[in-house]
Amino acid sequence: MQITKLDQMFEILKPRPNKRLVAAWAVDAHTICAVHQAVEMDLVEGILVGDEKLIKRVCEAEKIDPSSFRIVHSASDTAAAAKAVAMINAGEGDFLMKGLLSTDRYMKAILNKERGLMENGAILSHVTVAEIPTYHKLLVFGDVAIIPLPDLAQKVAITNYLIRTAHFLGIAKPKVGIQAASEQTLPKIPSCADGALIAKMAQRGQIKGASVEGPLGFDLIVDEESARIKGVQSEVCGDADCILFPNIEAGNCFYKSVVKLMKGELCAIVMGARVPCVLTSRGDSERSKLYSIALAALLAGAGQQ
Amino acid sequence: MTPIRSLPALAEHVRALGTRTRIAVAAAEDPNTITSIARAVSEGFAEAILLGAKERIEQVCALAGIDPARFQIIDLGPDSDVSGEAVRLVRSGEADVLMKGLVGTDKFLKAVLNKEKGLLPPKAVMSYVCALELPKYRKLLFISDTAVLPYPDLEQKVAMLNYSVQMARRFGIDQPKVALITASEKVTAGLPNTFDHALIAKMAQRGQIKNCVVDGPLDVFLACDPAAGGIKGVSTPIAGEADILIFPSLEAANAFYKGLMLFAGGELAGLIQGTLKPVVVMSRSESAASKYYSVALSCLMAGEK
Repeated sequence: MQITKLDQMFEILKPRPNKRLVAAWAVDAHTICAVHQAVEMDLVEGILVGDEKLIKRVCEAEKIDPSSFRIVHSASDTAAAAKAVAMINAGEGDFLMKGLLSTDRYMKAILNKERGLMENGAILSHVTVAEIPTYHKLLVFGDVAIIPLPDLAQKVAITNYLIRTAHFLGIAKPKVGIQAASEQTLPKIPSCADGALIAKMAQRGQIKGASVEGPLGFDLIVDEESARIKGVQSEVCGDADCILFPNIEAGNCFYKSVVKLMKGELCAIVMGARVPCVLTSRGDSERSKLYSIALAALLAGAGQQ
Repeated sequence: MTPIRSLPALAEHVRALGTRTRIAVAAAEDPNTITSIARAVSEGFAEAILLGAKERIEQVCALAGIDPARFQIIDLGPDSDVSGEAVRLVRSGEADVLMKGLVGTDKFLKAVLNKEKGLLPPKAVMSYVCALELPKYRKLLFISDTAVLPYPDLEQKVAMLNYSVQMARRFGIDQPKVALITASEKVTAGLPNTFDHALIAKMAQRGQIKNCVVDGPLDVFLACDPAAGGIKGVSTPIAGEADILIFPSLEAANAFYKGLMLFAGGELAGLIQGTLKPVVVMSRSESAASKYYSVALSCLMAGEK
């Protein structure tokens, strides 16, 4: 089933065995409520790693039964992050979620060479899925948060993450648009050059499972009429499932416009580690956090590379 | 027009045009050059202006059994700038084609490249295109650059491509198929030319290069053997029917054509490209037939478009 609404992720997850979410330093109401909601909806099992007294105090204040979680005591945020990662590596959890600790400390635990979640040479990147009222399908895009200025190899990795995510959303052959300054192949503009190279790699079967077109201006990716005016013929134009952005500024700007200008909803995960990692910020809506947990659960257990 | 599919057909076509192209030969006191030009003159499609030591030129004619009265001879002493004078004739419109005789290529090209008095427009790329006739290929194969640009960059490759297309179109091939050759059809950082070639292919797809079908990177099999695409699982619009091969380096192109001349019974016609008027430069080791065909090619290219 190809899904077009984020809510539909719940329908896919419900009949499946629940994945085990491990939340690192889950000692705040934001995190605990989001995990609780996912547990209540029977989407996941929740494991909260953090100070047991703090967790129980929050549960009491939020009128949540602490026995709906497995609580693993850990005295500090860094210790909790290390413990959560260790549990994943020991097979006691299926995916990771960030609690009240800083993104830096969370990422450090994931990236730790000996005890982290990275395979040698793996590329960590951030994938967003957005539901936008004025677009006819979900949009999967990246990287808006982790890699500031991806090089060609990193862009290929990101493209593969986007494709993989789309596959898990039931899109058999996603259409990927590579955003650039222009649809012209201007060899001196890196976004245009990389767009041409990645499209050719896909044509040669070096990137599989998708239809990839680039370089494309943003308008050509989401609007068929613009492509027609510019004389670009591609099944991707106006019907893209995925967008590869050339840099973090372009991606981040679009990400924030989805919520602030387009009245859209979105969710996101970090890919490239052994398991999906949820990286929500306190600014995200409750709904968005729940969607991010659902997306991670959807991708969990299938291996990351 | 019916496409010209062989070098004898090229000569036939030029003969049938009924025009006489005026060829200025710099340092004509060379038996090979005089023999090939005499054939073009006697077949009625060329007039020759031979520059050099008159006495010596007449001796060479006598030895070859050629009547020197069929040529206009401009007597120049050993201290005169014979290449510069030949270039001047072409520049002033007194001749249509420039041809190198018994003078060093360096000296000759210096006159051609002279900024004020030469034949190369400002910023134009000078390159070389050959038309190869091969017993085992169904059509003429245009290749570049076998002689001038050692390691063409992307812009120079685009110029080589455009020159080759212009030449192929003069042969009546309206939409020549151009293959950008490397060792592999995959886009890989290990073969930097595959990057250039992917970019040029995309430029053509976006309409930045016109009047041809372009694909690359491709190897020679995928370019010239219709069975190769199926075997390798590569879908390309060239489909083993290339009219034009653009090589990544002079070494590759030079070894390719010399190998075919030597082992496969090939024949060729070649011409400098980028100049205001056609320039014939043949090395002494080229066969008399190749020199004759090159003269015919220069007459084709000098004619009205």
